[in-house]
Amino acid sequence: MNDGIVVVVLAAAVAYGTPLLFAALGELLAERSGVLNLGVEGMMLMGAVIGFLCVQHVGGSAGVALPIAVGAAAVAGGGCALILAFLVVTLRANQIVSGLALTIFAGAAGLSSYIGNDFELADDPARFSFEPLNALGLGDLPVLGPVVFEQTWLVYASWLAVAAVAFYLWRTRPGLNVRAVGESPAAADAMGIDVTRYRYLHTVAGGALAGIGGACFSLALTPQWVDGLTAGAGWIAIALVIFAFWRPDLCLVGAYVFGGLSALPLILQARGVTIAPQLFQALPYVMTILVLVLVSTGTARRRLGAPAALGIPYVREER
Amino acid sequence: MATAAPREAAVAMRGVTKRFPGIVANDDVSFEVARGEVHALLGENGAGKTTLMNVLTGLYRPDEGEIEVGGRPVELHSPRDAIEAGIGMVHQHFRLVETLTVAENVALADRTAPFLLRGRDAARQVELTAEALHMPVDPGAKVWQLSVGEQQRVEIMKAVRSGSRVLILDEPTAVLTPQEAQALFRTLRVMAAEGHSVVVITHKLHEVMEVADRVTVLRGGRSIATVRTSEVTRNELASLMVGRDVEPERRREPGEIGEVVLEARGLSARGDRGVDALRDVSFSVRAGEVLGVAGVAGNGQRELAEVLTGLRPASAGVVEVDGKRLRDGDPRAAIRAGVAHVPEDRLRTGVAPSLSIASNVVLKSYRGEVSRGPFLLLRRIAARAAELIRRYDVRGAGPHAPARLLSGGNLQKVVLAREFSSRPKALVVAAPTRGLDVGAIETVHGYLRDAAAEGVAVLLISEDLDELLTLADRIVVMYEGAIVGEVDARAASVEEIGLLMAGVA
Amino acid sequence: MTRPSVRIERRLVQRRWLPVAVPIGSLIVAFLAIAVVLLVTGHAPLPTFRRLFDAAFVADGALTNTLISATPLAFTGLAAAVAFRMRLFNIGAEGQLYFGAIGAAGIALLLAGQSAWLIIPAMIVAGAALGAAWGAIPGVLRAFAHTNEIITSLMLNYVAALVLNYLIFDSLSYWRDTSATGQLFPQGKTLPDAATWPTFTLGSVTVPFGFVVAIVVAAVVWVLYTRTRFGFETQVIGDSPRAARYAGMRTRRKIVAVLCLSGAIAGIGGASQDGDFRHVLDARGLQQANYGYTGIVVAALARYNPFATVLVAFLLGGLENAGYTLQGADFPSGLVGMMQGIILFAMLGGELLVRYRVVIERSGSVGAAEATT
Repeated sequence: MNDGIVVVVLAAAVAYGTPLLFAALGELLAERSGVLNLGVEGMMLMGAVIGFLCVQHVGGSAGVALPIAVGAAAVAGGGCALILAFLVVTLRANQIVSGLALTIFAGAAGLSSYIGNDFELADDPARFSFEPLNALGLGDLPVLGPVVFEQTWLVYASWLAVAAVAFYLWRTRPGLNVRAVGESPAAADAMGIDVTRYRYLHTVAGGALAGIGGACFSLALTPQWVDGLTAGAGWIAIALVIFAFWRPDLCLVGAYVFGGLSALPLILQARGVTIAPQLFQALPYVMTILVLVLVSTGTARRRLGAPAALGIPYVREER
Repeated sequence: MATAAPREAAVAMRGVTKRFPGIVANDDVSFEVARGEVHALLGENGAGKTTLMNVLTGLYRPDEGEIEVGGRPVELHSPRDAIEAGIGMVHQHFRLVETLTVAENVALADRTAPFLLRGRDAARQVELTAEALHMPVDPGAKVWQLSVGEQQRVEIMKAVRSGSRVLILDEPTAVLTPQEAQALFRTLRVMAAEGHSVVVITHKLHEVMEVADRVTVLRGGRSIATVRTSEVTRNELASLMVGRDVEPERRREPGEIGEVVLEARGLSARGDRGVDALRDVSFSVRAGEVLGVAGVAGNGQRELAEVLTGLRPASAGVVEVDGKRLRDGDPRAAIRAGVAHVPEDRLRTGVAPSLSIASNVVLKSYRGEVSRGPFLLLRRIAARAAELIRRYDVRGAGPHAPARLLSGGNLQKVVLAREFSSRPKALVVAAPTRGLDVGAIETVHGYLRDAAAEGVAVLLISEDLDELLTLADRIVVMYEGAIVGEVDARAASVEEIGLLMAGVA
Repeated sequence: MTRPSVRIERRLVQRRWLPVAVPIGSLIVAFLAIAVVLLVTGHAPLPTFRRLFDAAFVADGALTNTLISATPLAFTGLAAAVAFRMRLFNIGAEGQLYFGAIGAAGIALLLAGQSAWLIIPAMIVAGAALGAAWGAIPGVLRAFAHTNEIITSLMLNYVAALVLNYLIFDSLSYWRDTSATGQLFPQGKTLPDAATWPTFTLGSVTVPFGFVVAIVVAAVVWVLYTRTRFGFETQVIGDSPRAARYAGMRTRRKIVAVLCLSGAIAGIGGASQDGDFRHVLDARGLQQANYGYTGIVVAALARYNPFATVLVAFLLGGLENAGYTLQGADFPSGLVGMMQGIILFAMLGGELLVRYRVVIERSGSVGAAEATT
């Protein structure tokens, strides 16, 4: 039964959805503070390439190199996000163009490619990569076995991340503050909340998570470096946040739906089924548009919608 | 209430100066408030009151001057510093996060709230505070669901919970009925008796006399005088406020009144919150007549103006201009039918703020004489603008400068110039003198008088009863979306209208 | 306690020289930053810049190749500029270009055997029409359902790419080459000879017809936006949609119209790809080129002015061309993207100084020392 197509697809959905989940959580944090980060794709690629670089060159066993690689990926993503934060929070530049600029700078024809080439990273596969575990020995359970208990550490870390982000936003003081900052920076400022600091912190945290998402590709899914490895996952993550109504728990659901839809054509092909793959591949994008339309109607906007100050720079002394 | 013994100053501002591009908002102002005192900060719009208080609450940095709290000098670099110094403010435009609940908003302001939030504790805190201040409110309600008066209560609660000993209120009664204002004043006196210091920013003389122990008058950015309210008369204050002897504006004489021009029958409409904002409203305005619409802001006046001018669809009822039915929800139809509109929000709706004044002058008329086919005749537009600027004495910027550089009064002149020059049959005017100084108010009133004299049917929506009593022939009062009464402006009393505004039949 | 504090204040007076000086200053800063990056990674900056410049503009055939790179960027740049001026962030030029290419190729194949005088205009029209149709989707969704056009146009790019892939790789569509080789190696049908767009020779430079069309489009757009009622309305809507409604303007129709116009221009860019350069519906090549996204960079650098857009497209085309030509062992790949990114960062940062000024205070009370550009 565990070889049946449904289980295989579900297990793949979780695996393929994990980079999306990390990136989406990161984007969610940034957007909750009011910053629309369109540089996610670039940050993921930077995380992927730096993580890969570390794993190829850091000494020690897998248990040492892999965590360091993931940490480095997070730093790489966070560093890119710092540039973006500086541009849009301090210099008050247009968030959309700035995000695109970052993606072009760091992306498939930019810095990540530069690094990949300079260090000749495309030549060899990863020395170590994250392998699926047999968690708690339960890998043989029907359905749940492969789907839940035979995933990599990165997948389990992503579940922790979802819980942590949700707890942070709704149960802690700083989480309440950031929600206020994203909805009404003027109100937050008048209450003594440092809008600039919150936006910086959450944008950089978002970039770090995106970096880890990128590392999921180069250290787990395709343990290799190829120019432009993430193939648009960053953009999907942005859509995913909207699809999830800016809630971490729904990000998980959405990431696995999208992950499943992107894994499905490959699995079908491997089984000799010849439906045009584009049909499935188009589904995530079309679904996102539909969800977005739903969320954008008047009353829905207030109840379910985007942080009100998303995309708008905040200047205290504007008259 | 005020004792004769000298009290230490809770807060003192000395020699404060604050400049903005093109204007000195505060010029060497000194101001101090004693403990347990209610102190009014009086001045007309534009005198610098809000700016001064924004300096005190850390929102603005002063260019010069010092601030002392409890006798010790402090430097307020940000709102957080002010909050920690015990200074709290209830702003005129509330600083609430609309999508969060009341309890969450109060928790945001509460400096003692723990790192881990517990919903039940937060709600309990809100209930306790509300009881102590005699201001009931539902902790779990989302702020956007509350009425304006209720939102103000949340703002006050926030200030109290943030531990402020000094509470500043900016034009607090603008959104209250006369009766609610009385209740607020009682609360303020209670707080003062408990040792808080209360500052009330206002431009209404009767409020100053009612609630304050002392009053400081600001004019043109400078502090003119600080006196005890028990030792001064209203007229003296008015003179100090305006800088010259003030004559109350003379009432408008009744003019020649013609046929019915603008008529509404059974108008109902939904508001932004999903509930009915207008309920079965009917009235008529004749040529040469000024019909005033009174009521506390938020009782449907905005929606009424929007329905009459096509900016909001009606859910029931009819609008007729000169007997012909006006197409619903279509601003262009209203413009073509001769309905001119001076909107409440002049900067964001009445003009395109970054476009030039010339562009704004032809905002509605660009399809007419100033264009040929699809092309604009730029020179004709510039000439038109120059002419209207001269005729209406618009100052502060040339025809090619962006409209947002104009002061409130001059901006309103541009809007009026544009609306009048289209030779309207009916004029819908909403809160036309809000935020304007006395000189600009007189000018705007002059244009409205002229319009009525020329046979335009004027619908004047305003929260300022004095304005309505001065200019209108008849006044209808709106309460919760319906018209609850009509009075003859020349015979009615403020008390009578006040009761209607509060919903008392 | 004296803490120096830095404040940002809106400028009241726009100094005349600022909008010119700041971009130039930003460019200089950008090149300095790029030089630093090159140095740090072991490449000599000045020789690299020299080689880039040569490959872009000076060497034999350089200008011709630059124009080849610049033409699609001019179209996607104009597409972005047209929309962005009304604060509509159309990220969908990429997909609209694909559809333009599909339309133009389809019409060219349909009219095979007819004269070029018929086919070429038909390609332009078909490209514009399909691009406009694809742009209408985010337009309608934004105008009538208030749906954010950034995300919808972005998603539609991916759908458009999938359509391209389907037509060429996973179906036996009209566009696909069904000959023997075509069955083995999926590719599009070659377009008829009459569908090849003409070129003009200026000295040693070959100017593609598409580039000329782009200049004409830029002129039309300029007139439209500065001299017509349509342009006036887009200005007002872009500044304040509420004021536009108040003035009786048909905001929703305009939104759709502008996004259709934007899509149409990108679509003509797609037609130009078929007719000027590729002569086949090149699914893979179009997707690798990223013209749509680079076009946004072009428009942003050109501050959304149509003529400046064509100029910037030319300059960035030179950079792209140099990047391809110099690709190899001793030229860092990825440099082109990095340079574009850094230049854009510098320009975006410089924008701040045009609208605001920086004020630094030493102590809390006395005076303010102005630190301006």
